[in-house]
Amino acid sequence: MTSSPDMQNGDGIRAIEVEGARKVYPKGPFLAAKTAVADVSISVERGTVHGLLGPNGAGKTTTLKMLLGLVRPTAGVFRVLGEDPRRPSGRRRVGFMPEQPYFAPHLTATQTLTLYGRLLGLDRRSVRDRISGLLGMVGLEGCGRQELSTFSRGMLQRLGIAQTLIASPDVVVLDEPASGLDPIGQRDVRNLMLDLRSQGVTVMLSSHQLSEVESVCDRVTILCGGLVAAEGRIDALLNVAGRTSVRVRGFAAGLPPAVKRFAGDVALAGSTWVFDVADAELRAVVDAIDDAGGSLEAAVPKRSSLEDYFARLIAGDGGERS
Amino acid sequence: MRSVVLIGQFVFVDGLRRRMLYVVLLFAAIMAALIPSLPSYGLGVEGAVFREFALAVIYVTALVIGLALAANRVPGEVERRTAYNVLVKSVSRSAYLCGTWLGITLLVGAAIGVCTAIVQVIAAFSFSEPMWVLWQGAFAIWLESGVVTALAVAVSAVAGPVVVVVASLAGIFIGHARGTLLGEEGAVAASRFYPSLDSFAIINPVAHGTGVGVLHLASMLVVFIGFVGVFLGAGCLLFERRDL
Repeated sequence: MTSSPDMQNGDGIRAIEVEGARKVYPKGPFLAAKTAVADVSISVERGTVHGLLGPNGAGKTTTLKMLLGLVRPTAGVFRVLGEDPRRPSGRRRVGFMPEQPYFAPHLTATQTLTLYGRLLGLDRRSVRDRISGLLGMVGLEGCGRQELSTFSRGMLQRLGIAQTLIASPDVVVLDEPASGLDPIGQRDVRNLMLDLRSQGVTVMLSSHQLSEVESVCDRVTILCGGLVAAEGRIDALLNVAGRTSVRVRGFAAGLPPAVKRFAGDVALAGSTWVFDVADAELRAVVDAIDDAGGSLEAAVPKRSSLEDYFARLIAGDGGERS
Repeated sequence: MRSVVLIGQFVFVDGLRRRMLYVVLLFAAIMAALIPSLPSYGLGVEGAVFREFALAVIYVTALVIGLALAANRVPGEVERRTAYNVLVKSVSRSAYLCGTWLGITLLVGAAIGVCTAIVQVIAAFSFSEPMWVLWQGAFAIWLESGVVTALAVAVSAVAGPVVVVVASLAGIFIGHARGTLLGEEGAVAASRFYPSLDSFAIINPVAHGTGVGVLHLASMLVVFIGFVGVFLGAGCLLFERRDL
């Protein structure tokens, strides 16, 4: 989890590069060939949190599996920190947490983390030192000697995060990390991702929890039907071009007609009116508010929620796939 | 190699905590304790009959434990995604498969050791002799169970537990049925290429004689390495090509 000098200096190597990924499961005796991923390209800068979104069957998990060598791609180029992650040596600096991780039920948490740490080349002493800190970090302090068959769903999820970080990876891939966690656990995971980013670690997050993605991701890639439906910075995707969101107070009897004729999506929250106007009409609206004796609280570029954006995008593509 | 040993070590520790292991060993101990109560076949052969039955009990114990552990280990870990946690580290699929085989084979070896020790204690009480020759038989059984486990692990790389068990039992049958399937030795030209496990069949010399020589024991090791190498090699090739 240390930021290497080349990372800070910028050697041009991206954390994750996927170019033209394609996966077609060949047809069987009674099955037609199935294209899980048609053409996906993703580029993730170092030290950022990148979200991977999409409805069920969009190809998120298959893309991640191809990236990590769990599924053989039909086509495509995959690079993690400039190395081919399908080779064991190319995965040395990667941590991965699968969705709903499970572990050998008869091992303890410490034994499990020891195995994963040793497999990544850490010596016994380093693993021991690292485990105590990690268990505390994910909220499992005091559970190290407990057999995993007695762990709850949330505890296994926390252990999954710990095993991802055991060897201080430079790139972390998380598939639904907050699944099965209570609200406090979900907040902890969000904070952990932000901490990792501040330490220079690149995080790739696949999640259905759009609020989580919106709050931590710098960029997102939205997949739909095995293709990239949208890609970019969260702000750029969510800002509604040409509209400004306005908040005003002081109109107990209702918005004055001079303001109302420009306002769209009008809502009243307490004594505050919220509406949006076209950028070109903002000057006129502000003047009208002043003339009517109102108080302007805020005027910011209108931004839709990721949920709305996602729903619009998917609806435009023919609705959710099964 | 380091990954293979590490994975083997943890498969061994995980297996040690499974209740099934102790239940099978308990049944084996009860059966071994009941052997002296079998009808006597004549003066002087009670010891040989005891050794024969004892080796059968050890063989069945090894087979049950080996198959129970091997049949669902890889399919279960792939299905529950436990395998992902290992395979996304800098570990090759071959190392994962070989480590799994190593852990199970060592565990079966430990179970055979315990079982043989129990049988020896019973022999010492019942016949006033420790029957050290039983360890030769136990060694042969362990080697054969290692081969069967390799076959099971190889098949489990691409198939579910039912197929693994059927394939393993078929492997044992084929391995010991050269005479039945091909007639007398040499009757069919292909018999020299027949995948026979008969090298490990030393019940007769152990039960009714004084055991086998060092050369035979060494040749068993060669056969063991050959079979295990072929089975695990095939299993690794299949597993490398599989989408998880």
